[in-house]
Amino acid sequence: MSEEALLEVTDLRVAFAAGGQEISAVNGVSFSVRPGETLAVIGESGSGKTVSCRAIMGLLPSTAIVKGSARLRGTELIGLPEPELRRHRGAQMAMVFQDPARSLNPTMRIGQQIAEAVRTHRDVSKAEARAEAIELLRLVRMPLPERRFGEYPHQLSGGMRQRVVIAIALACKPKLLIADEATTALDVTTQAQIMELLLDLQDELDMALVMISHDLGLAASYASEVVVMYAGKIVEQAPAGQLFGARGAVRMRYTRALLDAIPDMERAAHTPLPVVAGRPPDLAALPPGCAFADRCAAAEDDCRETAPDLAEHVPGHRWACWHPCAAGDNSENGDIPS
Amino acid sequence: MARSPALRLVGRRLGAAVIVLWGVTLLTFIVMSTLPNDTAQTMLGLHATPAQVAALNKALGLNQPFWVRYWRWLVQALHGNLGTTLEGQSVNHELAIHLPVTLELLAYALVISVALAVVVAVLAARRPNGIADRISLSVSMIGLSASPLVVGIILVIVFAVQVGWFPVQSNGLGGGLGSFFVQGTLPAASLGFPLFAIYTRLLRADLVEQMQREDYIVTARAKGLSPWRVLIRHALRNSMFTLITVIGLNLGTLVSAAAIIEVLFSVPGVGSDLLTAIGNHDSALIEGIVFVFALITVAGNLAADLLYAVLDPRIRHGSTNS
Repeated sequence: MSEEALLEVTDLRVAFAAGGQEISAVNGVSFSVRPGETLAVIGESGSGKTVSCRAIMGLLPSTAIVKGSARLRGTELIGLPEPELRRHRGAQMAMVFQDPARSLNPTMRIGQQIAEAVRTHRDVSKAEARAEAIELLRLVRMPLPERRFGEYPHQLSGGMRQRVVIAIALACKPKLLIADEATTALDVTTQAQIMELLLDLQDELDMALVMISHDLGLAASYASEVVVMYAGKIVEQAPAGQLFGARGAVRMRYTRALLDAIPDMERAAHTPLPVVAGRPPDLAALPPGCAFADRCAAAEDDCRETAPDLAEHVPGHRWACWHPCAAGDNSENGDIPS
Repeated sequence: MARSPALRLVGRRLGAAVIVLWGVTLLTFIVMSTLPNDTAQTMLGLHATPAQVAALNKALGLNQPFWVRYWRWLVQALHGNLGTTLEGQSVNHELAIHLPVTLELLAYALVISVALAVVVAVLAARRPNGIADRISLSVSMIGLSASPLVVGIILVIVFAVQVGWFPVQSNGLGGGLGSFFVQGTLPAASLGFPLFAIYTRLLRADLVEQMQREDYIVTARAKGLSPWRVLIRHALRNSMFTLITVIGLNLGTLVSAAAIIEVLFSVPGVGSDLLTAIGNHDSALIEGIVFVFALITVAGNLAADLLYAVLDPRIRHGSTNS
């Protein structure tokens, strides 16, 4: 990674102690994000994408054992004492969550929830924080911000609630914004609006955006760099253009299976949607070989014996597979969703 | 704003309260009339002739059928007159003297138990299984297992007999604030301690639940708020609703415990009055006091519901989006 990175994650590992055994949710994840860049972290539920990001933010419960390194502008975040980590959280880095119906305090006015974020990191009066909160509501394109200031979450629609959550995240103009499935709980038209809003704001505030999603289509449309995770590891990583470009070059069979599982307008009616067969492995008992082997059509004996390392096989494109797909052969129907 | 959800709620609850109160009066009357009735005999003494007993029964109206007696009492009560005690005093007058004492005692017990429970529950919930949590668990287990009567006796032995900070018997709560605290603290503590235990356990459990499960807590933490601030400004705010509901539901327990505690400490409230009245088979007085107890419980529950509606914006405004 050439330019000085805003966030540099190296060999991040997260395990949870549960009932006497350790469950490894994240097993050595490394990536970096440059200022202003958009990184998409893709994977199905349980692949470790949310846990990785919460580990970076220091938001995991105390049962989590976090190892490795995550440097934000050179400051090591892993192992930083909570009071010091708190100074970065919400100020330098902020997070937008999946379900806006649950991520706002139901009994607190939305304006207060935003003003509180402003006052946590800056020494401003209540009146100034209020003015700032209204300004933030305007920034996230909330209609009638003065009136909305005094309303409660249940009085807003899902899309408006997510705008409030974004306003809270932006309260201190962070350099890094992590959007954890930020559009998943919204309906499709609202999804697009919120995504556009996030990208506009990213431009305006020159933020780096880490987009956690299970939706490769979203990554293809908006991200500059894509990381695909499976069973707590990165299995493929490449610039979005390289991965999804006209001569698409997805090499991991897991990534390709995810691509094939996206509904497509061209597909003949009433044909079943391809699914990734099988289930993600048990994180408490990961196999010695490739974690995807049991679900992979191309798996051979070597896959079950030794796990392939993530290596840069083509400049900029890294994958972890003994028997990758041929390049330029993105999916059965060759289309990239957008 | 006749259609506001809060007002509709008040209307429904008031209707239910009236029905409950009426039911209580009827039940008390049924119980009183099924008990062997020897009021006249008791009043006249063992040597009274059957004719004398019959005459007194007639004078007291006790020879009339149940429904007639109940109807007469109900009509009188609706006019604000709760009848006459066996000693010829008006029940209203009796209540006017003793009820304020009981209300003061109940309020004192409630304030102590709720205030302490909030502080202790927050301290315990800050670090589940930490030292504060363990101490509070042990203390509240004692409170949950001991009845107010046992707590009262232990408090008397320790703080009245051994240490001597408070009198063994209170003999009235009047005479200024200082005297109120001296006379009232032990009875209020006996009443409040078991409640404190219930409230602490419940509030602590709800706080921990909110802190571990709720996404809005993660949002608050992601803002960079300190753990105390997240706990008090975010979690406690939402956990108070559980507490308010439980306080309302427990009022009945509190009121009935007051009767025993008043006797133990000789507090001249309606509780000790009730036990005397039961001993004397004084129907009118029993009816009156039971009615007042029911009224306190129902009014307390109503107040809890209203407080809930006032504090919870989701009820106050009604839901515009679901």
